[in-house]
Amino acid sequence: MLGKKVTDPLMVRDAELERIGQEIRRRIDARFERSLAIRELDAGSDNAAEIEINNLSNAYYDVERFGISFVASPRHADVLLVTGAITHNMAIAAQKTYDAMPSPKFVVAVGDDACDGGIYKGTYAVLGGADALLSVDLKIPGNPPTPIQILTGFLALMQSAGKKD
Amino acid sequence: MTGKDTSATATVGQEIFGSGVFGRLAYGSGGECILDVNADELDRAVSVLAARNFVLSALFATPVYGEEGYVLRYVFSHAGSILVLSRALNGKQAKSIATIFPSATWPEQECRDMYGIEFEGAFDTRRLVLHETYPAGFYPLEKSFKNAPVDTKKKVAPAEEYPFRTVSGDGVYQVPVGPVHAGIIEPGHFRFSVIGETVFNLEIRLFYTHRGIEKLAEGKDPAACARVAEAVSGDESAANATGLCMAIEQLSGITVPDRAWHIRTVLCESERICSHLGDLSGMLTDVAFALGASHFAVLREEFFREQERLSGSRFLRGMILPGGVSRDIPIETLARYRGFLTRFAKEFRAGLAIVLSTPSVIDRFTQTGVIKKPLLSPLNITGPVARASGSERDVRVDCPYGIYNRFVPVTHPLSDGDVLARFTVKAAEVLDSLSLIEKAIAAMPEGPVMSTDPVRDGAALTLVEGPRGENLCWVEVREGKVFRYKVRTASYCNWLAIEHATPGNIIADFPVINKSLNLSYAGTDL
Repeated sequence: MLGKKVTDPLMVRDAELERIGQEIRRRIDARFERSLAIRELDAGSDNAAEIEINNLSNAYYDVERFGISFVASPRHADVLLVTGAITHNMAIAAQKTYDAMPSPKFVVAVGDDACDGGIYKGTYAVLGGADALLSVDLKIPGNPPTPIQILTGFLALMQSAGKKD
Repeated sequence: MTGKDTSATATVGQEIFGSGVFGRLAYGSGGECILDVNADELDRAVSVLAARNFVLSALFATPVYGEEGYVLRYVFSHAGSILVLSRALNGKQAKSIATIFPSATWPEQECRDMYGIEFEGAFDTRRLVLHETYPAGFYPLEKSFKNAPVDTKKKVAPAEEYPFRTVSGDGVYQVPVGPVHAGIIEPGHFRFSVIGETVFNLEIRLFYTHRGIEKLAEGKDPAACARVAEAVSGDESAANATGLCMAIEQLSGITVPDRAWHIRTVLCESERICSHLGDLSGMLTDVAFALGASHFAVLREEFFREQERLSGSRFLRGMILPGGVSRDIPIETLARYRGFLTRFAKEFRAGLAIVLSTPSVIDRFTQTGVIKKPLLSPLNITGPVARASGSERDVRVDCPYGIYNRFVPVTHPLSDGDVLARFTVKAAEVLDSLSLIEKAIAAMPEGPVMSTDPVRDGAALTLVEGPRGENLCWVEVREGKVFRYKVRTASYCNWLAIEHATPGNIIADFPVINKSLNLSYAGTDL
């Protein structure tokens, strides 16, 4: 364990990313016993937000090193990341996904459409933003928000999460 | 859009309707032949067109402006030549052609859900776009319905649940998957019927992300609709904005400045590379080859960053507007981008060499998820998926738009139709798009990037080759506002291919088959 490192040293490409990531890491360690499990739910997105969330796992961001993991089941999740306005066709599945999560649980809306319905607000096919169905803890606007903006949102959630019972 | 061979449609028109047809043939602003037909003529035309190997590219309804009633528009294509048969309906009754042209199946269901038009003889009368929770008799695209929230059911009784096709027999069991999937992807339901590990039947159910895109466009200023077109499918923002803008430009007689077309081409080809990189990476993830997957994911991230430098948006949003592009790209930015492309090409080839010399990858890709060539025409399969199964179709070559007649893409068709063929075709298209971008930048003329011509009333049909294939769009503008926006993406056509590509494979190979087709749910569900 005290020997030389086996892997090549990582070049730090983005100081701002590292700062946000380390801050998230510190808060996840303190409040979530070292790991934050996230379940993504596309409730009616145009797929741009999913692409950016997936990008958080590419080698440029590699957010798993900050204690963030994306999990396959809502039963393993602390956070539900909702993208897209909630369509009528997804409403039942979205509610079931939320209900399947253990408490305490958090909901984060990612992207303009998830925040308040966006361009679909008041139209026939959607209920509205994520808060039309679920109690939302944090909104991250954007069309879509960039990976850094999403991470900055996670940090804000970590800062407020300690205040929630 | 100019067909290679407009005489083909005229010849077949004469065969069906006699020499009197020439007095009735009209030509659309994109060069397509348009013919108004009655019910009997449509019947006759359908059987002749089927015998002449025409493909039903799209079928959609449009309300008649200022009157009651609807027109069904059947878009047939053959070797780049387009024939649109317009059938005015008395009431809401039509006849199904889905047994002759299977690619009519979904469009007929869609016309029923959206307008209440019934197709006599249709073999699938289940709901498609509007799921069970929507009220009966609700037709959102009817002009009498003003776009507003609707009340839907909070629960679906077991008797009202969607009836999947039942497959039974000794040892057959069902595996239901979705709509919420394990990965970070869009929602859809897959119903596998499995014997042991082998998939015996797959039925898909989609439209979970139906957000009312077409209704949303109605009544908007044409320029404001570019934002709607970009929301059809996030990873095809530039392609769909281009299709919509071309339609508005054609119906208005707007000439797009040459520099704007060069910029559009750079953006659209960049988008294609970005999309293909995601597919290449995803296919490798799904066969657990993390080294290759990571390599292409890194390159894709670099592309997103370059796209932000070019356009201000990682998804190229807000750039393509009717008349041109919203802002010019400075010469220094383009020069920087070219430098990036040179470095990218080297790293891309290095990654490709590693992947294609890894036996475990080749083994998983070969003979997996085969799409046979005879499926292509009946289902109207398009894009790289079709080009991996022996087709040479490419809108940019068959019906060139913008500057593609000057910078002709080279297609790389393969015939095996398996995951390996789709991987290889997409990799070759990345390199071809790189070369197109290089040429467009090198030849970029000086001048304005936005036309000052006004938008007029009218209608137009356009085809563009998006990353996934042929995206069709039909726009009608009345009183200066969008009256009808119909978009039919390549994904909408290609989705049904997966029901044919999967049986006979083990369920564990489904993810890589799915990824190799890279179908957009949002672009299908609208």
